[in-house]
This record gives sequence, C-alpha cells and structure tokens, in this order.
Amino acid sequence: MPYLEIRNLTRKYKDFTLSASFGVEEGDFLCIIGPSGSGKSTLLSIIAGLENPDSGSVILDGKDITDTRIQDRNIGMVFQDFTLFPSMNVLKNIEFGMKTKKKADKDRFALNLLKLVGLEGYEKRSVTSLSGGEAQRVQLARALAAEPKILLLDEPLSALDPPLRKSIRSAIRTIHDTLGITMLYVTHDREEAFTVSDSILLMNEGKSVSMGSAEELYTHPGNLFTAFFTGEGTAIPAHLVYENTTGYLFFRPEDAVLSEEPINPEMYPMHIVFNDLKIVSAEFTGSGYLLGLDYQGYPMLCMSRTKPRKKDVSLMILQASMQNLPE
Amino acid sequence: MNGLRNTLEPDLGNASAGKASPPDNTFQEITMKKILIILFVIISLFPLYSNGVKDEGNVLTVYAYDSFAGDWGPGASLIPRFEEETGIKVNLVSAGDAREMISRVKMEGDRTEADVIMGVSDDSAYEAYELLEPYESPMIGNIPENLIFDPQHRLIPFDYGAFAFVFDSESGIRRPKSLSDLASEEYENKVILIDPRTSSVGLGLLLWSYSIFGDGDEFVSWWEAMKDNALTVADGWSSAYGLFTEGEAPIVLSYTTSPVYHVMNENTTRYEALVFPEGHEATIEGIGIVKGTDMREEAEKFVDFILSEGQVEIAVANSMYPASSAAELPDAFRYAPKPDKLFPSGQVSPEKTEELQALWLDIMTR
Amino acid sequence: MREQNAYYTLRSLPGVLILSLLFLLPMAVVFSYAFSNGGNALMEAVEDGYTYRLLSFTLTESFLSAFISVIVALPFAYLFSKYSFPGRSAILTLSALSFTIPTILVVLGFVIWYGNNGILNSLLMNLTGKNYAVIEVLYSFKAIILSHVYLNFPIAFLLITEAWTASSDTAEKASYTLGKGRMRTFISVTLPMIRGSIISAFILIFLFCFSSFAIIMVLGGNPQYSTLETEIYRRARVSGNIPEASALSLLAFFITGAILLISSYGRTKKKTERKSRVLLKAKGRNLLVMCLASLLILLFLIPPILSIVYRAFYTKAGTFTLRAWEEITGRGFGLISTAMEGIIASFLIAFLSSLAAVLLSASMALLSARKNSVILPFLASLPMAAGSVTLGLGFSLLAAYIPHTSPIVSYALVFFAHLIIVLPFSIRTMTPGARTIAPSLSLSAYTLGASMTKTLRKVEMPLLRPYMRKAFAFSFALSLGEVNATLTLSDGHITTLPILIYRLISSYDYQGAAALGTILLLEALIVFAIGEKGGRNAVS
Repeated sequence: MPYLEIRNLTRKYKDFTLSASFGVEEGDFLCIIGPSGSGKSTLLSIIAGLENPDSGSVILDGKDITDTRIQDRNIGMVFQDFTLFPSMNVLKNIEFGMKTKKKADKDRFALNLLKLVGLEGYEKRSVTSLSGGEAQRVQLARALAAEPKILLLDEPLSALDPPLRKSIRSAIRTIHDTLGITMLYVTHDREEAFTVSDSILLMNEGKSVSMGSAEELYTHPGNLFTAFFTGEGTAIPAHLVYENTTGYLFFRPEDAVLSEEPINPEMYPMHIVFNDLKIVSAEFTGSGYLLGLDYQGYPMLCMSRTKPRKKDVSLMILQASMQNLPE
Repeated sequence: MNGLRNTLEPDLGNASAGKASPPDNTFQEITMKKILIILFVIISLFPLYSNGVKDEGNVLTVYAYDSFAGDWGPGASLIPRFEEETGIKVNLVSAGDAREMISRVKMEGDRTEADVIMGVSDDSAYEAYELLEPYESPMIGNIPENLIFDPQHRLIPFDYGAFAFVFDSESGIRRPKSLSDLASEEYENKVILIDPRTSSVGLGLLLWSYSIFGDGDEFVSWWEAMKDNALTVADGWSSAYGLFTEGEAPIVLSYTTSPVYHVMNENTTRYEALVFPEGHEATIEGIGIVKGTDMREEAEKFVDFILSEGQVEIAVANSMYPASSAAELPDAFRYAPKPDKLFPSGQVSPEKTEELQALWLDIMTR
Repeated sequence: MREQNAYYTLRSLPGVLILSLLFLLPMAVVFSYAFSNGGNALMEAVEDGYTYRLLSFTLTESFLSAFISVIVALPFAYLFSKYSFPGRSAILTLSALSFTIPTILVVLGFVIWYGNNGILNSLLMNLTGKNYAVIEVLYSFKAIILSHVYLNFPIAFLLITEAWTASSDTAEKASYTLGKGRMRTFISVTLPMIRGSIISAFILIFLFCFSSFAIIMVLGGNPQYSTLETEIYRRARVSGNIPEASALSLLAFFITGAILLISSYGRTKKKTERKSRVLLKAKGRNLLVMCLASLLILLFLIPPILSIVYRAFYTKAGTFTLRAWEEITGRGFGLISTAMEGIIASFLIAFLSSLAAVLLSASMALLSARKNSVILPFLASLPMAAGSVTLGLGFSLLAAYIPHTSPIVSYALVFFAHLIIVLPFSIRTMTPGARTIAPSLSLSAYTLGASMTKTLRKVEMPLLRPYMRKAFAFSFALSLGEVNATLTLSDGHITTLPILIYRLISSYDYQGAAALGTILLLEALIVFAIGEKGGRNAVS
C-alpha cells in the first residue's frame, strides 16, 4: 500500500470536475504538472485539507484523513505567494509550527533548518526585507520545522527569475534527498518537473492523464496530450502510413533523420520514409536546428545539426521509435 | 515521518516528534477579554442599582427635573441642608423633564416611590392634577395671587420666569416698545427667534403673541412681519442666545432674567431685557405632594422648605424669579425687570397650542 | 474551509448578537409605539401632506450636501493619492477632526468665523472699508450646504483617498500607452476602480445629512428648512406624542434603510488589489500644487475650529483672559467645577465603548472579508440608517421601562448607546483591513498545525492591528463628541464633555464652553494622531 493514496477523489466546480486516483510511495518526489487550470493546485489543496472533496478519500500512512482538520493532518505546504507572517521575524516564522516546547531546542532546530536552506545568519531579519528567493527558502524551512509527514509545494518558484529558480529547485531536491521526506511538487514547467522529480503525474482538465518517471512519459507517452506536453514532436494520422490503422503516429524531432536527397523507401525497410517535404521554418536551438516541415499539408518537426541548403527535403524515422497513439 | 529532526539533529532523538499539538485554550483567552468588559459593565450595575432601592423605608422620595436634581443643580446643596435641619432623609431622583416625570409617576401607579414631585410647569399641570393631593402650605401667603395657577393647591408655584426680548444697547438701534413695535420695518434681520416646535422658549413667544393679538388677522400679520425681521429661527434657546452674544443680531428672544448673568459675571449692563407694558408670557413651576403618600408630614415639610429657604438658591440657579415675595434676591436681579402683567402659559389648551403651531408653520413657510 | 467559516461565524456571534440586540431592542420599542392603537399614528403620518414636504426637503438637502461633498473631495483625493509630501498625513489626520466636534460647537464656530459680525467679515470690512457684512452666507440654504460640506467633506476626502491610494495604477498607465487622454482614462479606467468608495462616501454623508437637525435650523434661518428629524424631535420632546414621533421615525428608517439596501446590493463584490500605487514625491511645481491644495483644505477646515480655540482665550470684546481655564482647573464654582469629572467620564465612556466596539468587530470584519459577505456590512450599517435621534428615542423609551435611580445604570445605558453608535464605524474601518490579509496566509498557518485561534492571535490580529487602532481612534472621537443620545439618556447625572458644553452654553458661559471644546478637540487630535501613526501603511 502506498504511503499517500488518493482514492477516487472528485470535486465539482462550475467549469470543470476534478477527479483523481493515484498513490505515492514514502520518500518519493512526485511532480504534478499540467497546463494552468488543469486542477493541480486544487488537488494539492484537497490533500492539504484547504478544500473538501465531494467524494473519495485521502489516505496518508494508512490513515484515512479525508475528514481530518487541516491542523491535524501533519502535512506541510509551501505556497506560491508570500505567506510569511509579516508580524514575525525569520526565526519566529520558522518556530511558529514547531512541536517542541523548549526554546533552546526550537532555536537549534531553526538554525539547522536555516543552514539547510542556505540562509545562515538570516534568523533576525524581518521577513518583509527578504527577496523572493529568500522568502521561498524561509517558507520551506518553516514548513519543514513542523515535521510534516509529507511536504506539498504549490508552484513555489513560479514568481522567481529563471536562474534563481534553477538554484532553488536543486536545493529543494537536495533537501529531499537529505531528509528522505515525501514531496508533492506542483509546477507548470516541464523542465522543472523533469529535473527534480522521481515521478511525474500529468493532469489535464481535472483528470490525471498519465503517471510515470520523466523518461517513461517522454519516450512512451501513451497518449497525445502526454506526448506533446512532455516535449516537441510530430503526430500524423496513422492511416497515411498504414492502411486500416486508426489513431496517430508520433515521433520526436531528434528521432527523424533528414536527407537533402529523395530516399528510396525500399532501401530502408526498418524505417518509415517521407519524401517531398518543404522546409517552412528553421529555429536555432544551440545544439542544432529545429526544422518545421510541411508534408502534404501536415506539419512535421525534425532536428538537424546543420542548416539544409535546399528547400525540398526527405525524412526517415526508425519504425521502433514511432508510436501509435490513440486519439 | 519521524526522521526529519533526527536527520538534522541526531542528538535530539525523536522525543517530541509526532506529539499531539497542545490543547486549544487560547480561544477562551480572547473571548474572556470581551466578555469581561461586558460583564464588568453589567455586573457593576446590580449592587448599585439595588442600593438605590434598598433604603426606601423612612426616606422621602422626591422626583425632580434634571436641572434641579442633577449634580450641578441646586438640589445638590439644598437637600443636605434640609436633611440636617429636619432629620428627614431625602432620596432625590432626577426624572427627566416635567413631562417625563409625570408619565413616570403615572406608569408606576400605586407602587410609585415618589412622595413629592417638583418642577411641573403650568402648561403641563393639567396632566399632573390627578396624581396629586392638595396642600394648604402656610407659605402660600407669600405668593402673589397672579402666580397661583391651581386654586386647589395641588401644585404650588415655587418659581417663575417671563419670556422677553433681550436687547444689545451698543447696537445703536432704537429700543422697541412693544410686540407690535418690534414688527416694524426698521428691525429687518435684527431679531433672533426660536422655533416653537422644538423649544419651550419659542413656544412661549407663540403663546405670548396669541395672548396679545388673539384669534384673528393681527396675529397672522404680526408673524408675517416678524418673518422678515427674523435673522434666523434657531432650534433652541442655547443657539439663539449664542448668535446674539456673538453679535449676529441685536435682539433675541429670551427671559427677563437674562441680563443678570452678564451683570454678575461680566460686569456689564450692555444687555437689557425689554419690558413691554402690554404684558409678558410667563412660565410658572410648581411643586406638589403625590396622592396616597405615607409620608405626608415629611412631604409638607419639604414643600415648605422649598417655598421658604430654598427660594433664592433655586431662583439664581434657574435664572427665574422666586415665587415667594419674601425672598431677597442678589443685587444683580435689579437688572431683571419684573413685568407688571403676566399671562400664565397654562391658559391655552394643548389642542389650541397644536393649532397655533400649525398656523405658525404655515405663515413662516408660506 | 468549511470549518474556517464556521469558526469565524462563531467568533462573530457575540458581536452580531450585541449589535442586533442593541439595535433591535430600542427599535422594537419605537416600532411598538408606532403601531400602538392599531397603527393610527402611522396612518396619519403617511396621509399627512406635511410629512411629504419635510421628506422632500430632507432628501433634497441630503442629496445636495452629499453630492457637493464628493465632487469637492475628488480633486483633492486625486492629488493626495498621487503625490507624497511632508505633511500629507498631518492633513489627512486634521481633516478627520471636524467629525468629532459636537454640532453646537460647529454652529458656534461657524458663527464666530462666517457670521455677519464674525472674524472673516470683520477682516473683510477692514480690508474693503465697507461697514456692512461683506459675505452674507449664514442663515440661508447656502449655509446649510456649506456647513454640511464642512462636516462631511473630510469623510469623502479620506474614504476616496484611501481607496485611490490602494488601487493599482498599472491599468491607468496602460490606458495612457493606448493613447487615451487623462479625462478619458479617468472616466473609463480610474473611476470604476474607486467607484465603491465614492458610493459609500456618498451614502454615508447622505445618511448623516438626512438626520441633520440643529445645523439646518440655526444656520438655515427659516422654518421652511426643516427636516423629518425636526418633526420627530418636536413630537417626542415638545408635544410628548411618542406614537407620532415613533411613526415618523419608522418612516425615516424605512427610507434610509431602503437607500442602504439598494447601495449595498449594487456594490460589486471585488477583491481588493494587494498592489497599491507608489506615491510620487512631489517636487517643484507639483510640490507647489500640493501646498496650495493643502492650504485650501486648511483654510476651509481650520478657521471654524480655531475660532473655538480663540474664543476659549478671548472674550467677545477681544480681551485676552484665562478665566475659563482657571475655573476648569479647580477655582470655579458650580457647573464648570465639574469639568474634570466630565473630562474623565467622557474619556472612560469613549475608551470603553471604542474598546468593546473594536474587540467585537475584529472577527466580524474578518468574517465579512472571508465570506465576502453582503449581509454583515448591511447589518452593521443599520444603526447608522436609524440615526441617533431615533436610537436615542428608543433608548430613552427603553430607559423608562427600567426604573433606575443609580447613576451607574444611566452610565451603562450611555455606554450601550455609544457602543451601538460607534460599532458600525468600527466594522466599516476594519473590513477593508481584513480584506488585505491574504487567505493563503491563514491557510499556511493551519498547515503548520496552528489552531484557528492561534492563527487569529499570532497571524491575523497583528496584521489587523493598524486598522484596529484606526477604528479605535475613530470610534473614540465619535463617542467623545456624541451628544444626541447622551442628552436623552443623561437625566442629570451624566457629565460628559459635550453635555457640559451644552449646559455651559445654556448658562451663558460661552468661554467655558469654548475652553471645554478646545480640550475635546485636543483629546480627539491626540487619539487620531496615535491611530494614524499605527495605520500609516493603511492610509498613506
């Protein structure tokens, strides 16, 4: 039985219905991703008890906590916006949720946490004087100080600059690895999810679309939404290639091989070949060019180390890296 | 999850990890603060309230209007003197104005504590008669005939005042000689009047003009002229007199006794009360013994005291004349000329008063 | 979330109960009188043409006063929400002061300053060499409007400035970049943002002027300028016809209640933006404009107040004297010797009623912000709609039911009357403050295991505190100057400052009244300064 289990959870809203079922193992780092409005923050809110589900249950460490008060759930949460208490300094904020009574214990624990989040010497600072990144680190330390069973992070870095985001997310991962605490991390940033998570839950329109490790989702997306959300790619109707096949064929740009000369399909029985493509666009990505192509009105993407000289090109893709996905 | 603090602080162990949060007792703390404040006020009422009722037995209870019984009224010094001289304990209750006093005694009915009520003016006397029993005080002999509005002596006058116009002698205008004279054009915007709907002084002038002009056109034309002569019609005596002393107009409706204050406190005779030979509206205040009192003897002593020793003090405090002609007033009262002719305000019926007010309003807003 | 609402509902219960009780009890008495005798009095009032004449004048006068106050306040609010300069908060504090002065002193101050024989006219007469009043503004309809604007301009100015300062200016900037001019931007972008505050200022002023009484009668100068309140007062106090007075009160209350209901219904529920605009430091020409604007405000607000202070030290003839002050400090006889007692009593009543009001309204403000409630603010405004004359009538009728001889009972009644009068203002001041507390802040405290009470105490209250201080200062000043209800309840044993002022004027002692008025103003000024100091982030 998983450490945290979400069982047939539903919650109706005016414009969409949230429904989810999944489990998280102890010590796991799960990223919940999806476009905005997909219900990921709501899901987190229900787990934390900030909102109540219509049906279904939340089970943590073998205990059904669906109807438990927020305060008694022992679930930590880091919010997207500034939720530090302006009336207290950094130290007081961190000690706010601590369960120890002794002042000396509290102080030592808080100082250790500050060291952990990389803010040594900040304990006497006023929280309103902190930068965005520092504030989120203090929020993290404060949540950890309450010794939660799991920690929920609701887009904690979305308000920060990209370079800062990178350094803090790796700090969060390090903290996870140091403490072994279970974390649920909501983000809309795919790259962020890929780099920090052990596994990813992808949500769309209130439903969980797929779940697995970053690599699994990227290489075997299982559906079109997952395929496109996890990275660039091309999908064409399957019947264009195989008769009597439904659904779509999907491939990643890096799996396609570009040729400036027409390719004879019979020479490459393991590949699928497309001739007579037109180059529509070329984007330099650093490692090469991402080319936008037109094949009989269907757009296709492929990678090329160099910029092709000709406008008319051909493509071939290994059949094994081509996936047939349902509509 | 008990590894968190262990990981960070292996020396601490998990002694306190997973402990239940402390019991929630702060709720009471804040609520208590609120409740305490409210309780403080409520609780503090009871002992003192019961105090006020407790020592009833041998105490004479006097209901009086606020300006007598209030902390600053003459009651504060007169009552102890009466108690000392007679050995009778007095429970002085300030019961609002004259009208409230009457309705309170009515409401309390047979159970009323009141033995004496004082401060019922002649215009509301008719409402009080049924509550009172007559008393032929030996002091009545000192009271001039024209003040005695109740021949049965259920209410005995103890002081009276006459409404009059007060005049600023430094204004350089001519002194008006009568009400009709005041209505002449030269006094345009020179007079401050008071609304009879909101002020007893204002009502005094309305009844005064009725006493002089009676039913008919003269009453209407006088008020029409006064409408032009009035700088403003104030809501009450206080604001009217304030405008007057600030020099906004040289004539104001007030009392014949008004100059006394200026003589006594400002040492000036600049302000004069105008006495008109045709007579002045008067308001007379009476004192009476409540029907069925079991302290008739003590009540009589109190009435006699008010009609003798209390006279000067009450008159000075209220800016009124004492009812007793035996009372010797301070010198400054020379500047409070007594009109020869008085119209007691109780002569006009309440229905007529309402009618006059409606007529007045009609004239003034026409 | 459900628990949270339940919790705040529970916490608001004492406040809501006290509010309802203190409002419903006196109103019920008034109602019962209005409907006694099968509602005869009510029918008569409804059928009487005079009632409608009064009503139509009352509505006209209130509408004009509110409208002009708001219109005059707008340009000043614009300047004060755009530029900062030294003295900005002092001006804001000072302008709140005129609110606390008892009406009789306002009348006195107006007469001393604007009177035909007043300071302003004396100055102008000297200047122009004329020997008659140059400005004859008093004792006319103009005077009513002028004094109402004097009393209520600060309300509009403060409310609108506050809302304007708190609104973000990014939309305005966007409008400018789209090539829209200042006027167009103001009408289509800015105005909708501050509309709420304009409406609530308008309604507030309208309600105040609706129950205006002494000012209209004294400064209006003609009985045709009388309001519904005049008639209520006359029937209750002069002709002693309580059923008729009650019937008219009821009628007045229905009208004000309806206006309040419509305005609270029409108000759009909007989340307050947390991003307020940054004030520009006024420099050069702008600084000059700000100084000029401040000067205008001061020239309008200060002279009548200063006139009262002046009169505390000078006789009408212009001789300097400390007589009143010597008498207050203990060498006087009679009335004025109780001045100290009055100062202490006023302070205690104001202190206790404001404290109770602030404590009771804190959770109500939080609840109303959390639930975005419409009912609660409406409930809280009801006592304002009833007006102090009607509430005073109710309380005095109520007092008649309690046979009391102890002054403590009278003081308790006065305390409760003041509480119900200041409570709506306290709630009104705190609700916007409660709205600025982000819900996620409280939620994050819950996830840390903090109980609702601990969160309230440690997280929400500290953030609400500046607003509590402001609400306290406002309530305190209001209670300090309250005279209508106190007077009807006083029965001679209650000596508050405004009542002493009334009594002193009644015994011809204007200088003593002006001296006590000066003390009252000073006390209010100190409390305001303290309240504003705490609320700096709220207003400036």
